[in-house]
Amino acid sequence: MGIKIFLIGIKSGQKRFGESIAAVVNSLLLSLVYFIGVGGTSIIAKLSRKHFLDLKLEEPRKSYWEELNLSKEEMEKYYKQF
Amino acid sequence: MYVLGISCYYHDASAALLKDGLTVAAAEEERFTRKKHDVSFPINSINYCLKSQNIDVKDIDYIGFYEKPILKFERVLYQHLECFPKSYRTFLSKLPSWFNEKLRIVKTIRKELGYKKDVLFIQHHLAHAASAFLVSPFKEAAILTVDGVGEWTTTSYGFGKENNINLIKEIRFPHSIGLLYSTVTAYLGFSVNNSEYKVMGLAPYGDMNRKTNPYYRKLLKVVDIKNDGSYRFDMSYFKYHYTNKMPSKKLCELFDGPVSKAGAEMEKRHKDIAAALQLVTEDILTKILNHVHKETKSENIVMAGGVALNSVFNGKILSSTPFKKIWIHPNSSDGGTSLGVSSYIYNTILGKKRNYIMKDAYLGPSFSDEEIQKFLDANKIKYSIFKNKEELVNKTAKIIYDNNVVGWFHGRLEWGPRALGARSILANPCNPNAKEILNEKVKHREKFRPFAPVVCDDDALKYFDCDNPIPEPTDFMLMVYPIISKWQKKIPSVTHIDGSGRLQTIRKNQNPLYYNLIKEFGRLAGMPILINTSFNIRGEPIVCTPQDAYKCMMGTGIDYLVIGKFLIKREDNPKDMWDSEKYAND
Repeated sequence: MGIKIFLIGIKSGQKRFGESIAAVVNSLLLSLVYFIGVGGTSIIAKLSRKHFLDLKLEEPRKSYWEELNLSKEEMEKYYKQF
Repeated sequence: MYVLGISCYYHDASAALLKDGLTVAAAEEERFTRKKHDVSFPINSINYCLKSQNIDVKDIDYIGFYEKPILKFERVLYQHLECFPKSYRTFLSKLPSWFNEKLRIVKTIRKELGYKKDVLFIQHHLAHAASAFLVSPFKEAAILTVDGVGEWTTTSYGFGKENNINLIKEIRFPHSIGLLYSTVTAYLGFSVNNSEYKVMGLAPYGDMNRKTNPYYRKLLKVVDIKNDGSYRFDMSYFKYHYTNKMPSKKLCELFDGPVSKAGAEMEKRHKDIAAALQLVTEDILTKILNHVHKETKSENIVMAGGVALNSVFNGKILSSTPFKKIWIHPNSSDGGTSLGVSSYIYNTILGKKRNYIMKDAYLGPSFSDEEIQKFLDANKIKYSIFKNKEELVNKTAKIIYDNNVVGWFHGRLEWGPRALGARSILANPCNPNAKEILNEKVKHREKFRPFAPVVCDDDALKYFDCDNPIPEPTDFMLMVYPIISKWQKKIPSVTHIDGSGRLQTIRKNQNPLYYNLIKEFGRLAGMPILINTSFNIRGEPIVCTPQDAYKCMMGTGIDYLVIGKFLIKREDNPKDMWDSEKYAND
């Protein structure tokens, strides 16, 4: 019984260790993607004055409504996730 | 033909099943997993839907998903590109779930269900619009959807005619009434995507006068509202577009103090802020609805999205806009989109005739008397049996009249956030202490929050200053109306500080047993009104099974459980199975 509990403990410890390693590796990889991929694109976009979100108030505008025109489409469009 | 709708991975995961156009089953995942607002793939809800019709996944013709994941992912990436490097932490914490589950939904559906046929995707706000229009009683109506955010859209309007929906205009992220409401909810120390209704309940304690509430004028600096109701925020007051925390330092300065801690006492300032938020929300929505009426020329309005749960505003719509009739989906938050997408597939994409009007919200699991008795006997629970329905109604009404708190478990579980007489806690509204008893012994919730009254539809106009005829969303507890002043002191437990009540009306054909119970209580008390609150404790989903109901009763101050034809008295059974106080949280 004691050995069984010991082995279960070892196994769960290994699992936790594996998860910690995976979390560290994931964080490193995601950090690389963020600072090189996202950061690089963002800097280039900012230099060329491209904005990805409409963050500015434009008080002279009469309306903030934007065209949507969402209605029934061709069947094949509903298979797409975009 | 069977069509299954699924929503998951944001909040309130759910599934809904249509059989030849009729909604035959629908449920939120939280009711089965017992995790409030559970976001996970709704395998339990799907299994329930299939079991309810004795079918296999092979019998499903189409599965629909409630949004376009790649469009949403595009928005998330754009947030990070715009907000680099401030979004670093959110990027690390949120991105893995996109690759592990959100962008793999088709694989998950095939793997979890063994489903091989077509999976269709529609936009999030189209799913909301479909949930509001296609199951409404209207052949044509204006449509308004307002929530936090879908893919890009946060607010949209358009019109529906017969089987078709056309959403014409939108407001796009990051400008969002839903997210404004959530930001102030977070500022006041409540949980986001959960406690917005508490802020709505807190508002009447503050200054509801636009001229004298200082925070109303301050909040108007945050949002630019045009005459047509369109709006845009000064985003320097917010942080939600790049972090998980919503109010910025600038908003805290505007509100004269830091973000409140969870559970902190609400001061006058907090109450005024809640009032200002409600007033600004009403300003925007009233302008939008007036504009939508001008554009669509329809007399009917249907609404969905989380903001459509703002029952205080809903009760004012018909009197403050030109619309004559209104319908709101009972599960108008994201939970209802599974029903929306399945209806859209059947009625709009496949062009099949609309043959279902949602008259009640009883779409969840039910349990037969045999199943209940099996559970009671297996757990050696002491109970008595009502001889017939008449005795059940008469005895239960007397028990409530004697100021006992009753757990009421009958029929199919409700669809949506409100308990509507299938899984309800009932009490005597004439008892001045009922609110305190329910709050302290059962619900463990904030003292400022009111309880809701339920009244039969034919009595409602006598006690409430409702629109006449009474709008159908009142059946789903989605409208707040003033209680006629002479009755307010007679039913103090359901009268909010401003003299209003978030009433539920019940029609006899919806739930005859519940209807008769209220009538019988009225015969005893002279007031055919009951307190109806959801059968749960704070932080828990509404009970689903007999076991959930029994556990809830035994861990709280509920005196009796009326479940099927059985009556269980708390005192007759062993001490608490669990300590509900331990489980009560936000």
